[in-house]
Amino acid sequence: MGKRVLIAEDEPHLVESLTFILSREGHEIATALDGEAALQAIWSEPPDLVILDVMLPKINGFEILKKVRADDRLKSLPVIVLTAKGQRQDRETADEIGADLFLAKPFSNKVVIAAVKDLTTG
Amino acid sequence: MSRAHIGSKIRERRKERGQTQVALAKEIGISASYLNLIEGNKRHIGGHLLQKLAAALDVELESLDGAVERRLAEHLQELTAEPLLHNLEIVPSSAFDLIGRHPKWARALVTTFRALQDQTELAAALADRLNHDPFLSDAVHDMLTNVTAIRSTAEILESIDDLDETQRSRFDRIIGNESRRLADVTTKLATYFDKAGAKTHSLTPSEEVDDLLWERNNYFPRLEAAAQRLLTTWFGDEAPKEMQLAEKLRQRHGIETEDRPERDLTDLVMRNQCYYDQAERRLIFIETVPSPTRRFQMAKLLAAHTLDDEISVELDTGDLLTTEAARHRAARALSSYAAGAMLMPYEPFLQDAIDVRYDIERLAHRYQVSFEQACHRLITLRKPEAAGIPFAFMRADPAGFVTKRFPLPRLPLPRYGNACPIWAVYSAFQTPGSIIRQMAELPNGDRFLFIARAAVKEQAAFSAHRQVVSLMMACDSLHADQTIYAVGLNIAEPSLTTPVGPTCRLCPRETCRYREEDPILATV
Repeated sequence: MGKRVLIAEDEPHLVESLTFILSREGHEIATALDGEAALQAIWSEPPDLVILDVMLPKINGFEILKKVRADDRLKSLPVIVLTAKGQRQDRETADEIGADLFLAKPFSNKVVIAAVKDLTTG
Repeated sequence: MSRAHIGSKIRERRKERGQTQVALAKEIGISASYLNLIEGNKRHIGGHLLQKLAAALDVELESLDGAVERRLAEHLQELTAEPLLHNLEIVPSSAFDLIGRHPKWARALVTTFRALQDQTELAAALADRLNHDPFLSDAVHDMLTNVTAIRSTAEILESIDDLDETQRSRFDRIIGNESRRLADVTTKLATYFDKAGAKTHSLTPSEEVDDLLWERNNYFPRLEAAAQRLLTTWFGDEAPKEMQLAEKLRQRHGIETEDRPERDLTDLVMRNQCYYDQAERRLIFIETVPSPTRRFQMAKLLAAHTLDDEISVELDTGDLLTTEAARHRAARALSSYAAGAMLMPYEPFLQDAIDVRYDIERLAHRYQVSFEQACHRLITLRKPEAAGIPFAFMRADPAGFVTKRFPLPRLPLPRYGNACPIWAVYSAFQTPGSIIRQMAELPNGDRFLFIARAAVKEQAAFSAHRQVVSLMMACDSLHADQTIYAVGLNIAEPSLTTPVGPTCRLCPRETCRYREEDPILATV
């Protein structure tokens, strides 16, 4: 059963490849290239899962996650945080503000597919 | 601080002059037997008596009382603050024994310690850059994102067999594009590190320049004479005006001066609110720069270009400047020295200083220079036959760091970090523009008059950061009554004296309630 996944990432080629592999898994994909567009998309039509880059233009990923967790309707929305920094501090921040999973770039497609599956089933 | 060898030096000097003990004792008004005890290093002397002896023997006080050795000892004592050496329980006062027996080993230790400090600072700066530099952070983010896109696309091409031709060529192009972007980022990163490497500089050159100024007692007769010559020939011994200095720069060296708004200068590394474009031969000022800074910087550039031979001779004298960077820095310091000598000619400036009792503000006003420029000139009045009061000078920023220093033999000024928090140089930050005076007593009983003033540097715009610095002059309490700043101060009254230290770590006042760090001199 396909899910609606929002990919919030400012690197268009990465968005394209993630869209391709997740579409093949049967998911319906929406994309946002900056933080403002991502929040807009989440609030207007909440997806089943968000793949959220930390270093997004306009509003960064951590700020978005905070706003999402502060919204009663979205408290349990599964969010995978992507970061280019594998630093402990980023991982701790992501945990603290309620990320479901933290993926450090560069990750493999298989890991993303499995993570989406895990967080949207059962 | 030990003065153990003063007596031997007095004896040596007296014999050089062919004078008997009886004759010298009579001249300074003490008994021959007392002089004998002094010469045998059996009596501790200082103050007026030491001054009288120095005058009678026609020598500088500093050369008589072992200033050079003491300076070296101060450096060695700083070394004992190094945590790595704590376990050795070195008694700081034993530095004099080492200097006495093995002066070269002592200097080698100090040099090595400085190199260690230098490398530690550099490593900290580099670590800081790696952790916090926004360019590096962005570059790493871009690289990892490019690599992720390449990896994800390559995995699609590799693992999915049913891609149609359009999809396959689309993903091929993505890999090509992302690879090129990755190459761009890595090239920028490599260039950045090349430049970063070139920009790092050693702290040692500035210390070598400090040593040069110290060794020459901050007095350079060749530069004084040359600056006086320029003043007489070009300006008829009148204080040169801005326009005249600009005209001389243009006429003699083809250098144009111009003003620009600060917003047009954000890409340039400004020094003292101006920038000298060597290739274009232009001296560019921020348009709001005050007149004293403008005059001084023009005089400095004029000196650097006109007196380059005289400056080179000074740089080649002695062997203290070991690197090109140190020579370059010393050349800048000596150009400033010559500019000061031109704008505040020695003889009249000294006479005026004596007449106004070293009132720095009056001197600054009379010579149309800044307070700091007048302070700098006062510490150069060390001509042996016509000297002013020996002053120490220091400048501190609001973070407490000492950014300029010229110590006195018995008043060590910290080389790294902060001085004693009670010093007037720090209290002056509370009332910028006002002079703060303080009679300070060091733990060894030496007393100094501190004169401090904080100043807000001219702001280029409402939104510009207000840069505040505090300047302090200090003289031995023996000379205090020659200054305007002692008026109304009861110099001899102990209750009006502030007990201070050099820095917390080197200060033995264990019960001081202003202490910020543990003392390391408890064994003294």
